[in-house]
Amino acid sequence: MKQAVKIITKKDFLTLVNTLLQNKTYDVVGVKAKGKRYVFDTLNDADELSLDYDVTILPPKKYFLPQYEQLMKFSLEKPFEVKETIDDQPRIIIGVHPYDIIALQQTDTQYLDPPKDDFYKKRRDNTIIIGVDIQNVSERSFAGSMKTHMTETGFDLLLTDLGATYAVTVGTEKGSTLLKKYATTKDATSAEIKKIKDVRDNIAKKYTKKVKVDKKDWSSILVANYANSFWEERSDFCMECSSCTIVCPTCFCYDVHDEVSLNLKNGQRIRTWDGCMLRGFTKVGSGEVFREEPKERYRHRFYRKGNYLPERFGFVACVGCGRCGIACLPDIADPCDVMNELASFGHEEDTGRFFIKQKTDAAEKGIIHIPRSATIKRAEVRSEIDTLFEIELDDKKPLGHAAGQFVEVSVFGYGEAPFGVSSPPSDTPSFEIMVRKVGNVTSKLVSMKPGDKVGIRGPLGNGFDVKALEGKNIIFTSGGTGMVPMRSLINYVLDKKNRGKFKEITILYGAKRPKEILFMSDVDQWKKVEHVQCELTVDKCDANECWGGCIGVITTLFPKVRMDKFDSQNTIVVVIGPPVMYKFVIQCLRTMGIPEENIIVSLERRMKCGVGKCGHCQINGVYVCKEGPVFNYKEIKALPEAFE
Amino acid sequence: MKQKPRVAVFDFADCEGCELEIANLEEEILDLIEIVDIVSFREVMKEHSDTYDIAIVEGSIMRPMDERRLRSIRSKAKILVALGACATIGGVNKIRNQWMPDEVLHEVYGNADVKGNELFDVFKTKALKEVVPVDYYIHGCPIDRDEFKHVITALVLGKKPEIPTYPVCVECKKNENICQFELGKFCLGPITRAGCKAICPTHNSTCEGCRGLIKKAEADCVKEVLERYKLSYEDIRRRCTMYNYGREECSVDE
Ligand SMILES: Cc1cc2nc3c(=O)[nH]c(=O)nc-3n(C[C@H](O)[C@H](O)[C@H](O)COP(=O)(O)OP(=O)(O)OC[C@H]3O[C@@H](n4cnc5c(N)ncnc54)[C@H](O)[C@@H]3O)c2cc1C
Ligand code: SF4
Ligand code: SF4
Ligand code: SF4
Ligand code: SF4
Ligand code: SF4
Ligand code: FES
Repeated sequence: MKQAVKIITKKDFLTLVNTLLQNKTYDVVGVKAKGKRYVFDTLNDADELSLDYDVTILPPKKYFLPQYEQLMKFSLEKPFEVKETIDDQPRIIIGVHPYDIIALQQTDTQYLDPPKDDFYKKRRDNTIIIGVDIQNVSERSFAGSMKTHMTETGFDLLLTDLGATYAVTVGTEKGSTLLKKYATTKDATSAEIKKIKDVRDNIAKKYTKKVKVDKKDWSSILVANYANSFWEERSDFCMECSSCTIVCPTCFCYDVHDEVSLNLKNGQRIRTWDGCMLRGFTKVGSGEVFREEPKERYRHRFYRKGNYLPERFGFVACVGCGRCGIACLPDIADPCDVMNELASFGHEEDTGRFFIKQKTDAAEKGIIHIPRSATIKRAEVRSEIDTLFEIELDDKKPLGHAAGQFVEVSVFGYGEAPFGVSSPPSDTPSFEIMVRKVGNVTSKLVSMKPGDKVGIRGPLGNGFDVKALEGKNIIFTSGGTGMVPMRSLINYVLDKKNRGKFKEITILYGAKRPKEILFMSDVDQWKKVEHVQCELTVDKCDANECWGGCIGVITTLFPKVRMDKFDSQNTIVVVIGPPVMYKFVIQCLRTMGIPEENIIVSLERRMKCGVGKCGHCQINGVYVCKEGPVFNYKEIKALPEAFE
Repeated sequence: MKQKPRVAVFDFADCEGCELEIANLEEEILDLIEIVDIVSFREVMKEHSDTYDIAIVEGSIMRPMDERRLRSIRSKAKILVALGACATIGGVNKIRNQWMPDEVLHEVYGNADVKGNELFDVFKTKALKEVVPVDYYIHGCPIDRDEFKHVITALVLGKKPEIPTYPVCVECKKNENICQFELGKFCLGPITRAGCKAICPTHNSTCEGCRGLIKKAEADCVKEVLERYKLSYEDIRRRCTMYNYGREECSVDE
């Protein structure tokens, strides 16, 4: 589509801005000086605008994903009173550089990918973007070599400085209306349109900093250098300040927490910026940190930009603004320097890909923020630290889950945490979860009683493909709380209606100690079913505990499996347990002759959103919440980090 | 509503600035006493009780008599919270650990005879955790009122308070400040625990590390930054003296 180009005098443009300011419909934001640097800030007068700036300290993402964003308010006194608090302030942002416009388009892709983020969408729809072509190049920017120094889309209006006038490229209907309503312009002549191109070509020449690697090659260079000692050497200098992610226009990971008023009457759920350079980003309740080594965190950021997001969405998630280079005190964060250095190591062509993306139909239906109201129907204490809950959705609709899916449970004032559904799929509005007490949300949950209200989001993630299990022997292998989602699957398979579809069933289950065995009554039932072998083990047993069974880690149960009775090729093994368990179990299974593609795992990572937005659960580029938690071992084993 | 937790506030060697921050909650004090019973708080009330659930303790430990009193508080409290830099890390009171206690006494009191007087029987300054186990920390000199409210509400709700384990730079960058290093100054933000909303660099002065160090001042990355900005190890040693004499890195949970 041919875009209209108008000409406005600089004086008239300032008048336009002042008219908008007087009009007060919009929050008018523009680029202003702050000391020797520049920032996007609310304008009081058009004269404050510094449209010849080089780069702002923070990108305009702060207007779409505020650093501190109220998602909802809730009452701690009333049973379930939650109010979504979407910000609908109309806004105009003046002076956005092309690379930042491109970064916003990338953020759109992430946040509007289903399920879309309504909060983000509302702000996006309510904002008019007046871009400006770059006039001064920041010393650290390498946008020229990234071809992000100019853009033809993503703005409502775009200004190009032609001396006494601006050429205004009209990008959208919204932009056109605004211009017609508030300003006098004339059409640009073809000479003036040509000048726009000259301005852009000129600016491209001003970049002294250049990335030598073509964008399409970032991915393969990174994959080839995953094990390079470079990451470790560099990360020794990392202060873990996350400045590089905070100032980056394409970093959009977040955290969510609950805050309460001092009188404990009400509270709010808050979304804040989070970043993968912080150690706490992958920390779970048990204290385990999935990217514990600084080099893993340091590396993750570059792979996210140059490999994971390119493979997922097709773009390099760096626009070359150079902000991270300015912000990083030890100066190790700049992707231009890093890519140029990696390129100098040389690499073989196309060494394969880490990224896998599974079908996500189920996960795409998830809701992101506001949970549904639900009531605890039954709370059964199962051990000192485990309580089983039956929860009913207040709208009386069935949860509609498949075995292996999970829900996010909200306890207002405490937060939200993911739990596997432990009851088999059903048409009733109630379902079961088993909660183990580890941190804030879980400690509160286990103290809750029937009649208490919780919030539910879900079902989330991809469950087990039960069709693929039909006609097969199945070995269910679970450790610890891995039995929770496993029980859902086992009870589905052993249900009289379904039992005929499956062959020999073996259930192996390991717990830390006898009192931590979950679902003992289920276990007793399973033992009675014909053609079912059920074996239990505990890691250890105190003198005062009664235990007649096996003692040892889960792998001690494998020799007991009567493999002679069935063909390993026609056997599927489902493995769910704590992270440390997988490596050993999978080794055993391989020696038993189970093919890799017959091993199904369900993985756990730190989670927050549960729908592929917040970034916490990533194993390399895979969102465990959205593409998992159930994976085929063969597909995911090549993924570094998955079983390390 | 079930019994409100009983809270007592105590102080040792300090300027009482952190207690003042609590007293300055003003009308919010009413909200506070709606959720806890304050049974002892010398700075604002006369009454005192020895039965309490939560002890909030401000100040550093300087003398054997302080140590005895702190032990007694610990034995009565279910939860002990260290309030302010003096209590959490020793803070400014540790500056004097550069010298021997005798030298300090001599410097301050000259030749006056203080021997045998318990009040003047000082040892090297200690933070609370060097004497008794501390459950939670409210950092800063002075403390941040919002963080105080966060910790109190968390404890009443039975939650573990979330205290940042990342450096001040995180909050500073979010505030869109120009980095003090860019301005040619030397800031302790990269190695200091956040939680103060980076108040000092936001008001254009450097961070002095009052919330405690989260990374050893001796770490490689610190050396690298010092070198880049033409600073020496001696500079960082001097700078850490104000709040972090000894330059011990705090453990993550503190
Ligand atoms: C897919 C999946 C299924 C799970 N199923 C069960 C289950 O059936 N029963 C059970 O007891 N536990 C289960 N967990 C673990 C459970 O989510 C954590 O124990 C819980 O989040 C801890 O929350 P907390 O607030 O008590 O702990 P805190 O340490 O205070 O955690 C703070 C926040 O960090 C995140 N987080 C912490 N630990 C984990 C974790 N292990 N996994 C994901 N996010 C975490 C959560 O968002 C949590 O709210 C499951 C985890 C995942 C990812
Ligand atoms: S990675 Fe650095 S250069 Fe690239 S977009 Fe982010 S802040 Fe800019
Ligand atoms: S800005 Fe630099 S020092 Fe800070 S986390 Fe990023 S890479 Fe590490
Ligand atoms: S920490 Fe600082 S403000 Fe608080 S009492 Fe000590 S010296 Fe005073
Ligand atoms: S001013 Fe200090 S706290 Fe702020 S970013 Fe710079 S070093 Fe960090
Ligand atoms: S910026 Fe540094 S010195 Fe200032 S309050 Fe925060 S931690 Fe203390
Ligand atoms: S991306 Fe947020 S939990 Fe997976």
